Amino acid sequence: MREFKRLVIPYIVWIALMIVIPMLLIVMYAFTKEGNDVATLSFTFDHFIKFFTDPDFLNTLFLSLKIAFITTVLCILLGYPVAYAIASAPAKRSNLYILLITLPMWINMLVRTYAWIGILADNGLVNHILSFFGLNTTQLLYTDFAVVLGMVYNFIPFMILQIHSSLAKMDKNLLDAANDLGANRIQRFLHVTLPLSIPGIISGITLVFLPSVSSFVIPKLLGGGGYMLIGNIIETQFITVGEWNFGSAISMIMALIIMFSMYLTRKIDRDHTERRMNV
Amino acid sequence: MNSHRIWRKAVLGLIFLFFYFPILYMLVFSFNDSRSLTSFEGFSLQWYAKMFSDRNMLEAIYYTLVIAVLATVVSTIVGTVTAIGLSKSRKLVREVITQINDLPIMNPEIVTAVGLMLFYVSLHMEKGFFTLLLAHIAFCIPYVILSVMPKLRSLDPNLAEAALDLGATPFQSMMKVIVPQIMPGIVSGALIAFTMSFDDFIISYFVTGNGVKNISTLVWTMSKRINPSINALSTIIVVIITITLILVNVLPVLKEKAERSHNRNARRAIPALGAFLILAMGCGLYALKGSSQGGNAEEAVALYGSNVLKVYNWGEYMDPAANEAFEREYGVKVIYDTFDSNELMYTKLQGGESYDVLVPSDYMIERLIKEDQLQPLDKSIVTNLDQLASGVKGLSYDEDNTYSVPFYWGTVGIVYHKDHVALEDLEEEGYNILQDEKYRGRLYIYDSERDSFMVALKALGYSMNTDDPEELRQAYEWLVQVNTTMSAEIVTDEVIDSMVNGNKDLAIVYSGDAAYILSENEDMGYFMPSEGTNLWSDAMVIPKTAANPKLANEYINFMLDYEQAYQNSLYVGYASSNAEVLDVLSGADGEFYENEAYLPRVGYAKDEIFRYNDMTKKIISDLWTKVKIAK
Repeated sequence: MREFKRLVIPYIVWIALMIVIPMLLIVMYAFTKEGNDVATLSFTFDHFIKFFTDPDFLNTLFLSLKIAFITTVLCILLGYPVAYAIASAPAKRSNLYILLITLPMWINMLVRTYAWIGILADNGLVNHILSFFGLNTTQLLYTDFAVVLGMVYNFIPFMILQIHSSLAKMDKNLLDAANDLGANRIQRFLHVTLPLSIPGIISGITLVFLPSVSSFVIPKLLGGGGYMLIGNIIETQFITVGEWNFGSAISMIMALIIMFSMYLTRKIDRDHTERRMNV
Repeated sequence: MNSHRIWRKAVLGLIFLFFYFPILYMLVFSFNDSRSLTSFEGFSLQWYAKMFSDRNMLEAIYYTLVIAVLATVVSTIVGTVTAIGLSKSRKLVREVITQINDLPIMNPEIVTAVGLMLFYVSLHMEKGFFTLLLAHIAFCIPYVILSVMPKLRSLDPNLAEAALDLGATPFQSMMKVIVPQIMPGIVSGALIAFTMSFDDFIISYFVTGNGVKNISTLVWTMSKRINPSINALSTIIVVIITITLILVNVLPVLKEKAERSHNRNARRAIPALGAFLILAMGCGLYALKGSSQGGNAEEAVALYGSNVLKVYNWGEYMDPAANEAFEREYGVKVIYDTFDSNELMYTKLQGGESYDVLVPSDYMIERLIKEDQLQPLDKSIVTNLDQLASGVKGLSYDEDNTYSVPFYWGTVGIVYHKDHVALEDLEEEGYNILQDEKYRGRLYIYDSERDSFMVALKALGYSMNTDDPEELRQAYEWLVQVNTTMSAEIVTDEVIDSMVNGNKDLAIVYSGDAAYILSENEDMGYFMPSEGTNLWSDAMVIPKTAANPKLANEYINFMLDYEQAYQNSLYVGYASSNAEVLDVLSGADGEFYENEAYLPRVGYAKDEIFRYNDMTKKIISDLWTKVKIAK
């Protein structure tokens, strides 16, 4: 079997180069002053101090978390009924539905988001319809609403697919048993279906929250140049401003926050399953 | 039970409407006869024609497919082999590797992207095809491992053992025993890898360069202006994907109503069909790509050492025909990249990218000269200097054109809707009209740190070249006020189409864009406040690191000449640096006759030219980031 073990070696070299070193470089840049020559490295906390003492940056971080939170909640609320409807459809149909859910994911995210601009613009489709019915037109593009809409549109398939797969795995006999024991439809849902689909919701949350908190494409296209989320700040630091050290510090802060929230959701998931096992 | 079914239909109906409406909308507008994304004015195929004649688009499709195929093949093989190895490794090794393997999946993509970018820069690797491919392989492998591992776990470990005992070599036992058993996992891993690579934007955006673009990064640069070619491109992608998916999902079902779930059949059929489609498209694109090159390439190589010229210019700054004319004339290939701010261009240069010709603005040229990053022009080649207009002769940053040849020049001013904004207000308030409550929510400012601060400083009555921290602080507060209480929209080039469509009433705009807006929408006017403005010029320069300086000099001279200068100025609306072009275009028969934005204001005492100052540069860029995030 030793021959097989050796198969791992190339990949160890590869991840050291392409995953570990880049991460270490971010940490190094985050803690050093300008200039990236190893010879002239000088350690500093300045970038973190700058970030955490400035209300503008903290507000942006807070806004990013808020938008990602709203997006995630909406994805659960809208995605659950859809996943449920798919899971309760006949097998052949539900496969078709799954295909229809996945198809848009094959289309480039930028293109899908770009499509909304024409619909939401000041003289776009929605406002045309509003004014046709004699209603006041409103600004839709470049608002919180547009950004959340764009995120839900792009990320809700992940949620639907995750919840669906946990619902599809569910043993249907459990529902019959609950039925025989006198539970009505609502009770069956609350005490059998919902608890069993929690793992799907949890992995859906990670798949939706992660890209929404760090997104910079959707806020830029649908929120406009003045709509900055934490991802946009990182992007401008690296692409336009050229302050890679500060940008690395923000990237590090964001990565840590996300890893911490992932850890929390997983822990809640574990606790939840353990509690169920004990009951 | 019936109500249940209706409920289900309603939910699914709504979600599919939500999913497919924007796609349908895009599809419809790709056939629009006009440029508009909001009103349909008749059927036309012009955007498809544009797309297929646009070399950038064809190249982007080509690169996207080649990278996706290569990344899928490499990552599937490496991922599978590694997963097999891991399944036989000690628990500790397995745990550590899977943890690290999870990092790119659990980390925000932008963090992975930034890390890879820093990695390439540290190694002084030139960004381009190779860096892009490596990055794609890097983020694809983890997904392959993730989808192969579960299959291996459910595999009987004694199988491989038995094969070895029966005399198979380790390689044979892997290929003949293990791999066939885990095939479904490998195939779905490959599929995920292909999708991830095909759709990727964030990582590609940070690690590519030197004119290598995939579809996503191309759409990103194009999305600033209304461009229905994007819709045409998307429609084609949608159609191809739909056909592929329908074929692989429906055909097996129709053919054999076997017991096996058709999903698995689909997965088997996809690679063969996909490979065929990709191969066909690849060949077609390669043929198209190749045919666009000039014929006398060998001659060019002999003359200049290379037949490739890399140009880095502002977005929407040239008639694409001008580059094609140069390519035909000299038998070379022009790699044309664009930026939307001087700072972005500078940062990219610092990232180690090299270009032959750059077109920065005055103060940036001053900086580049100061930092010794430019090389002198070869005046024996650049012979058209005598055609320069008097307004761009002897400019302070490079008085005798040692390093630079002006390309366009102009001012910054206010474009306003003549029916909605009173001219008296503008004359009375100047830039402070941006603080006038009457126009709240109806204005655009431009996402340029330099020019936004120019507007604020001028509005406050200071010099735009001030280095007084207090004056800069006041300007910062003035801008925050405009962004928050006046709820101004901060935009880049999308302002052009927005003002042509009359979306808002006031906008800070460069004179050339203003000239274009005025020529497209006669309700708009251009106003230059009496507080003065930025009299800017953008000029062509050759960096020290240029690979092909001789050809770069030829290019500069070619673009300065009447014919190309006329085409370019006519196409984008910016004032040409060529004296004769200025006269003709603003003359009685010219396209910009009586267009108040075309000809820059010269000799006005309060107008200034930007000077480069290292210290204020940093303060301004910090403050501008803060203006943008102020809520």
